[in-house]
Amino acid sequence: MFTRIVFDRFTAFQKADIVFSPGINVLIGENGTGKTHVLKALYAAADVSVTKKSFAEKLTKVFLPSREHINRLVKRGVGRGSGSLEVFRKIGTEELRLRLSINSWEDSHLKATLSGHKKTWFEHPVHSVYIPVKEMLANAPGFKSLYETRNIHFEEVYADIITKALLPPLRGPSDTARRKITSILQKAIDGKITVQKEEFFLRNKQGNLEFTLLAEGFRKLGLLWTLVQNGTLLNGSVLFWDEPEANLNPKLIKTLIEVLIELQRMGVQVFISTHNYVVLKWFDLLTRDSDEIKYYSLFRDKEFNVNVKSADLFSDITPNSIDDAFEDIIGQEIISEMGDLGK
Amino acid sequence: MSSVECDGYNFDFPNAVDAFKFDETDKSKPHYHGVPMKGVDIVAEFSDSYVFVELKEYYDQTMFDVSTATTQEEIKAKQDAYKWLKRYLKYKYRDSYLYRYAEDKVDKPIHYVCLLTFDNALVLKINKDLKKELPLGRASRRWIRVLASSCQVVNFSLWANLFPKWTITKI
Repeated sequence: MFTRIVFDRFTAFQKADIVFSPGINVLIGENGTGKTHVLKALYAAADVSVTKKSFAEKLTKVFLPSREHINRLVKRGVGRGSGSLEVFRKIGTEELRLRLSINSWEDSHLKATLSGHKKTWFEHPVHSVYIPVKEMLANAPGFKSLYETRNIHFEEVYADIITKALLPPLRGPSDTARRKITSILQKAIDGKITVQKEEFFLRNKQGNLEFTLLAEGFRKLGLLWTLVQNGTLLNGSVLFWDEPEANLNPKLIKTLIEVLIELQRMGVQVFISTHNYVVLKWFDLLTRDSDEIKYYSLFRDKEFNVNVKSADLFSDITPNSIDDAFEDIIGQEIISEMGDLGK
Repeated sequence: MSSVECDGYNFDFPNAVDAFKFDETDKSKPHYHGVPMKGVDIVAEFSDSYVFVELKEYYDQTMFDVSTATTQEEIKAKQDAYKWLKRYLKYKYRDSYLYRYAEDKVDKPIHYVCLLTFDNALVLKINKDLKKELPLGRASRRWIRVLASSCQVVNFSLWANLFPKWTITKI
C-alpha cells in the first residue's frame, strides 16, 4: 500500500509531498498539473517490485520522454540541477522508501541513482495495474509482440495493460467480494469477456461480439471485469486509472464507481485522476463512513508552480477545477443577461 | 435604503435606487404587502432595471437531485421535489410580477435571482429549467411585454463572485 510520494524538481513539480489514503485516491486538476505523472510514478515503483527491473528504466519507459532521455523528467530550470522522486509504501507496520535521483545533465537511465530500502522493496512485490486513458484491448492482437520486437513509440503502460488483461482466469471459485464485483459488471455489459488468440470478445446471448465493434465504454467495464476475473486486482494490489470516465456515458459512471468502491472494500488501493463532476459526485454519494477515500486538488499557484491540497470530503476540495468550470458557464450567462449590474 | 434584512441575512445593494423586503408583513412599513399572493423576498430597484431576489436555504440538496437517486421510488420522490421547487420559484416570480404590475412598477426590465444552497452543477440544471418555465423574454409572438428579462440561480459562493457589489452578511 502506497503511503506517500515526494517530488523534488520532477516533471511538473517543483516540490510536492502527497500523503495517500490506503483506500481510494481521487486526483483532480486542470490539464498540465501532473495528475498522470503521480499515477505513472507510483505505477513504475509498484511494477519493478514485481519484475525486479530497474526503476529508472521503467520510469523512462512509462513516461517516454523524447529519445528516452531520463534527464528530460527533471523539471526544466536555469542551469544544471537534479530532480528526484521518493515513493513510500507500507508493509505491515514498516514503511519502505525508494528514492530516485536524476541529474539534468545525464540522459541515460543508468546514471540515475536509486537509494532507500532497495532490497526490501524488491523482496516484497506489490501487484498493480495501470489503465491508460486510451482503450487498448481492441488493438490487442499482435500489439504485445510488436511492442516487444520493434521500437514503437508507445508508453509501456499500453503494452502492460494488454499483458495483464491476457492473463488467464484464476483457478478455483471466486470469493464473495470478487463475485459481487463481477456480477455488477456483467449486469452493466450484459455478458462476459472471452479471449481468442489475443482478440477480446463480449460473449452474451447473441453470441460473440469483437471489441472493435463494441462501444468503448463497455470495453472499459469489460477490461475491469477481466482484471478482477484473472486475479490482477486482488486484496493488496493497486489500481491506477487515468480518467476512467473517458468515453463512458454518464449513466455508466455509477456502475464504475460502485466497482471501484467495492475493490477498495476488498483491499485494493485505488488511484484515479478525473475531470468529471459525476465521478466525484458518485464517490461522495456511494461511500460510507467506513470507506477510505481522499481527494487531491492539483493546481498552479501565481508563480506557476504545481501545488497539491487534499480533502477528506468532496465538498471540501479547493480549488475545484471541475466546479470552477460550472461557475464560468453561470458567470458568462449572468454577464450576457444582466451586464455589470452587480459587479 | 439599499440595505435589506431577510431570513437572517443582510443584503446590501449600494447602487440601488431602492431595495426592500417585498412580502413585508409590518403594516407600519411603507412597503407593507398585505395581499394573499406569493412574493419574492426582496425587490431592488436600479436606475434601468429591477432585481427580484428569492432566497431558499436547504441543508440537503440531494432531495432535489434526481441524478443521485438509486431506486425507482427515490427517482419519483426526487422528481416530485424538484418539480415542486421549480413551480414554487416560478409562482413566486409570477405573483410578484402581477403585484408590481398592479403597482404600475413593471416599467423596467426585471431580473430574477434565486439564491439557493445548491452546488454549481445543480444550480446550472435548475437555472436552465426555470428559465423555460417562467418563461423568459417574449415567449409568444402576441406578447408586447416580457415577463422576465433574465433569470439567474446562484448559490452563496457564486453570488459573492458574480455580484461582488451586492454584499450579503449573516446577521
